[in-house]
Amino acid sequence: MSIDRKKKLVPLLLALFLVFSGCSNHEPEHVRILSPVAPLAVETIVPVLSATEAGGGEVLLVPKSAIFHNGELTGVFVVGTDNRLSMRWISIGRSINGDVVVLGGLNKGEFVVGHYDPALNEGVTVKKSPRVTEEVQNQ
Amino acid sequence: MNEGIAGKLAKQFINSKITPLLMVASLLVGIMATFMTPREEEPQIVVPMVDLYIPYPGATPAEVETRVAKQVERTLTEIPGVDYVYSTSMPDVALVTVRYKVGEDAEKSMVKLWSTLMKNMDKMPQGVQFPLMKKVSIDDVPVLNLTFWSKSKDPFQLRKTAVEVAEELKKIKNIGDVEIKGGLKRQIKIVLDKGKLLKYNVSPLQITRQIQLANSQMTSGDFKQMNQEIVVRTGKFLESASDVANIVVGIYGASPVYLHDVATVVDGPEEVNNYNFFGWAAAAPAGSVSGEYPAVTLTVAKRKGGDASVLADKVLARVDGLRHTIIQPGITVTETRNYGATASEKVFTLLEHLLMAVVAVTIVVGFFLGWRGSLVVLASVPITFALTLLIYYLLDYSLNRVTLFALIFVTGIVVDDSIIIAENIHRHFAMKRQPKLQAAITAINEVGNPTILATFTVIAAVLPMVFVSGLMGPYMSPMPIGASLAMIFSLLVALIATPWLSFRLLKTESGHHEEYDVTKSGYYKVFNTILSPFIESPLKRWLAFGVVGLMLVGAIALVPLKAVQMKMLPFDNKNEFQVILDMPEGTSLEQTARVTKEIALYLKTIPEVSSYQYYVGTNAPINFNGLVRHYYLRQKANMADIQVNLVHKGERKAQSHDIAKRVRPGVQQIAQRYNGNAKIVEIPPGPPVMSTLVAEIYGPSESEQIALAEKVKTVFKATPGVVDVDWLVEADQKVYNLVVNKDRAAFRGVSAEQIAQTLRMSLAGMDVGLIHTANDLEPVTIQVRLPQSDRTSLHDLSGIFVQSQGMGTLTTRLRAGEMIPLSELVKVEEKIQDKSIYHKDLRRVVYVTADVAGATESPVYAMLDMDKKIQQIKLPGGYSINPLYTAAPTSEDKLSMKWDGEWQITFEVFRDLGTAFAVVLVIIYLLIIGWFQSFKTPLIMMIAIPLSLVGIIPGHMLHGAFFTATSMIGMIALAGIMVRNSVLLIDFIQIRRAEGIELKQAVIESAAVRTRPIILTSGAVVIGSVVMLFDPIFQGLAISLIWGGVLSTILTLVVVPIVYYMAEKRSEKPSITKKS
Repeated sequence: MSIDRKKKLVPLLLALFLVFSGCSNHEPEHVRILSPVAPLAVETIVPVLSATEAGGGEVLLVPKSAIFHNGELTGVFVVGTDNRLSMRWISIGRSINGDVVVLGGLNKGEFVVGHYDPALNEGVTVKKSPRVTEEVQNQ
Repeated sequence: MNEGIAGKLAKQFINSKITPLLMVASLLVGIMATFMTPREEEPQIVVPMVDLYIPYPGATPAEVETRVAKQVERTLTEIPGVDYVYSTSMPDVALVTVRYKVGEDAEKSMVKLWSTLMKNMDKMPQGVQFPLMKKVSIDDVPVLNLTFWSKSKDPFQLRKTAVEVAEELKKIKNIGDVEIKGGLKRQIKIVLDKGKLLKYNVSPLQITRQIQLANSQMTSGDFKQMNQEIVVRTGKFLESASDVANIVVGIYGASPVYLHDVATVVDGPEEVNNYNFFGWAAAAPAGSVSGEYPAVTLTVAKRKGGDASVLADKVLARVDGLRHTIIQPGITVTETRNYGATASEKVFTLLEHLLMAVVAVTIVVGFFLGWRGSLVVLASVPITFALTLLIYYLLDYSLNRVTLFALIFVTGIVVDDSIIIAENIHRHFAMKRQPKLQAAITAINEVGNPTILATFTVIAAVLPMVFVSGLMGPYMSPMPIGASLAMIFSLLVALIATPWLSFRLLKTESGHHEEYDVTKSGYYKVFNTILSPFIESPLKRWLAFGVVGLMLVGAIALVPLKAVQMKMLPFDNKNEFQVILDMPEGTSLEQTARVTKEIALYLKTIPEVSSYQYYVGTNAPINFNGLVRHYYLRQKANMADIQVNLVHKGERKAQSHDIAKRVRPGVQQIAQRYNGNAKIVEIPPGPPVMSTLVAEIYGPSESEQIALAEKVKTVFKATPGVVDVDWLVEADQKVYNLVVNKDRAAFRGVSAEQIAQTLRMSLAGMDVGLIHTANDLEPVTIQVRLPQSDRTSLHDLSGIFVQSQGMGTLTTRLRAGEMIPLSELVKVEEKIQDKSIYHKDLRRVVYVTADVAGATESPVYAMLDMDKKIQQIKLPGGYSINPLYTAAPTSEDKLSMKWDGEWQITFEVFRDLGTAFAVVLVIIYLLIIGWFQSFKTPLIMMIAIPLSLVGIIPGHMLHGAFFTATSMIGMIALAGIMVRNSVLLIDFIQIRRAEGIELKQAVIESAAVRTRPIILTSGAVVIGSVVMLFDPIFQGLAISLIWGGVLSTILTLVVVPIVYYMAEKRSEKPSITKKS
């Protein structure tokens, strides 16, 4: 009698197991990309500026403070049109009073976070301070 | 009754003690072979392909083409066995790719190539350097990729760890190549300071010379003293950055100038030359981190003939053991490719399918012959397969999807011989005309010989497929060989083991003692009702033929109506795909990285994507496809690969091909925004080609070719269903030519070479040696270079100084060592970089490439569509072009175009299969003539062959499937099976007629008697094929066997007897009148 019952239990358990394992597998989590509760306020958001070099060529500049390093990699945080932050790897040249020449990775007119903060994360929404627009207009 | 071979064999073994021993022995060796045969996913394909890199520094592509590429190509085509010679002439270097015919011996080919090349090296122009020869083989494809990624460690540290792990892994037995992709190596960087160089009057060339001189150590010899030999060693290698920094590079005034006076010496990572990042995506396992992290990939290849799954398991176990020792905490190792696991999975799925097929067939047999009968049949299958697997092992085949598939394919067929024998023994036992042993032998005698013939017809049908040539050959050949072997073994089993088993297992039913009468059976009644009207009335007969004919025509008409489309092979459901990004030539590494990242961020949101890894400036680990497409050369700054890993196919509904189709627009939209070109690359199910659609454009001049290519490209883009359009013409890249003013340089005592060397050192940097450290596994180079900030513009370049060698003339006296600025010596010319020149088989060619997806999935239809538009292109000469299909143009005087890519292989495969089919028909005809000694009878039997089309083509339409190469294989195999059915049918009619039965009666009777074995054998084929329906690649074959089998069996049972009756009626009548 007990053996019979055990025999019945095995497929039942198997079926249950299958049902539950199915549950966990079939629903990929979609909430991975951070949905920001409140936009993070960032002190300075500055545009990538261009300047004319002594030799006559045009170069792009970002403030030195915007740049961070990960080993040999050099990066800045770019503020996208949707106010989201994204990490961007750049290559840099010489510095010109507090600014650094960007050789690759950024376009003129893009906005970067002026002061790098290790707490910043990719995908976070940030607020643009009104100063930014003024600066653009001054350009 | 006289005894045939079959009867004699059966008599020998039916009561022999050796029979069961033989059966057990073959089972055992088969099981052993299964475990000893290496497992892998793809079949071992030997495509000897050799890349030759011939450097010709300083030459333009045009020079490289005429002086090097053409020369080499001409000599290489002399080598026997060479299939294609491709070449790319780039600035400074020629890349010549030699492809041998598939199956040529790799080592022999290398030797031939080497000797031919050496023979002609004296014809090379001066300045050409020694060629580098690289053999490309399937075993270069890594079977396991491990991605090392970390939140806290940078690429330099990651690479260091990966290198140490690689060193450990190399100790594993049977491991192949271990490589590291991405990361940054350790390097001693000598960053020159222009100002100080000038101040101390030191030139970069001087520095390299001094470093090289300082970095030496040698054994000088020995001397004897007091009976002892004492070794003298001189010099000391540079061992650290400080050693390098303290080298004296010059004298200024009265004091030495050290290297650290004029340059900064940095010991650390090399300058960034690649971006390799890993990130989890939407379908990542729970708890994984978001964002993307620097990564380094360690790739493991296997040795030839090794077992991928065993190796992968060993490597993974070893890596696990290294955690916390070599692999520091903070570094995560993620498995991003494991062909061992996929191979095992594929092999076990196929074995499972095999089992299912065998069980299904057994059940079917059970319905007709009872459980004892089905047991006899069931026992014969494992023996057959065991012997076939043994032969696989002995022939050095691996267990892969093709070899195993061959077994599934024949499951339905190998049981046939046993079924026929067992069924007949069963029938004879039931008839009870003879004692048991005698009955069994009579039964075997009756069907034995036609069974042998029938087996050989099936073998004759599949074996010609061995002759499929080209890249598809190795994919196909295990099938005919495996199937033929299995057939032969099944015949032996049927003649030796089946009688033994039947004699013991089958029971003569006790109870009913009446004499067996065929006319009382149900089959007879059915056939009597069906066949009689057709036999009696010629009108009805012709009406039936008309209907069958119409069905046949209707079925064939579905092909031109595009209700059934032709394609070589459909896409398999894989767990990965790749995105290949090409930015315009001249795009910076960072810009490429940025676009790549944006695409990756989009891919991340796709619900089926579990992880991704992108490689910018270095190639992603290649697969077989990338091997043929030369993706391992994708290491330029404007190129990026994204490896996209999907969740396991069991956990998603969408097929990988559908996901690829879905993401394509989004990915391309991002790439186009930055003027890039992104392609979605899937792993092709069959042999890889350069691209699915390739238009090769030949013509008299490069500019005309490019102009036409541009137009063809527009046609490609405008055609729906044609995607990923690209061409192999580089975008314009700006080049500054620094032209040395020779007069001025001479007067200043500077040579042109000095200028070139100095510039190269300043810009690209120059490796001047290695430091000799004890504990670095990768060589650490010493590189002299200008800092990045000092090499960003022309202005920077002209500020570089070269040192005068000194100059003394009558008027001026210039002292040696004076520093002269480059701006004084060179003139800058802005130009566009010359484009690479491509050759295929000595003809200059421009390639336009594309893929097909969506509106049309088969390249042939897209090509036919585009043909019309291409013919309308107006050419400068006023003529139009007709795209060629099979052969390259005979002359290059006019512009012309040829289709290539998947089409070329499709064409070759269908041509070879078509030829094989024709040969099959002839062989079958000959075989049956030999047996029946009649020219007419074989034709009647072969009527069944076209009848299978009535089932096959509409079957494909019903399933919405493509008519593929595997469908064609099914059709060919079916021809053998159907003829065998006819053979069994007609053989019986003739036996009955020889016994004096009247023609009509004999026809109906034989149809009735033979229906059961025919339905059983065909049913076995059909049921055995059902498991294949769900495999994307072999679906076509399953459809052919199932629908073709069903329809053609039904029609054979009706049409063949009627046609035979018609044919024999005339000869019958006089004989009857004579008798009466």
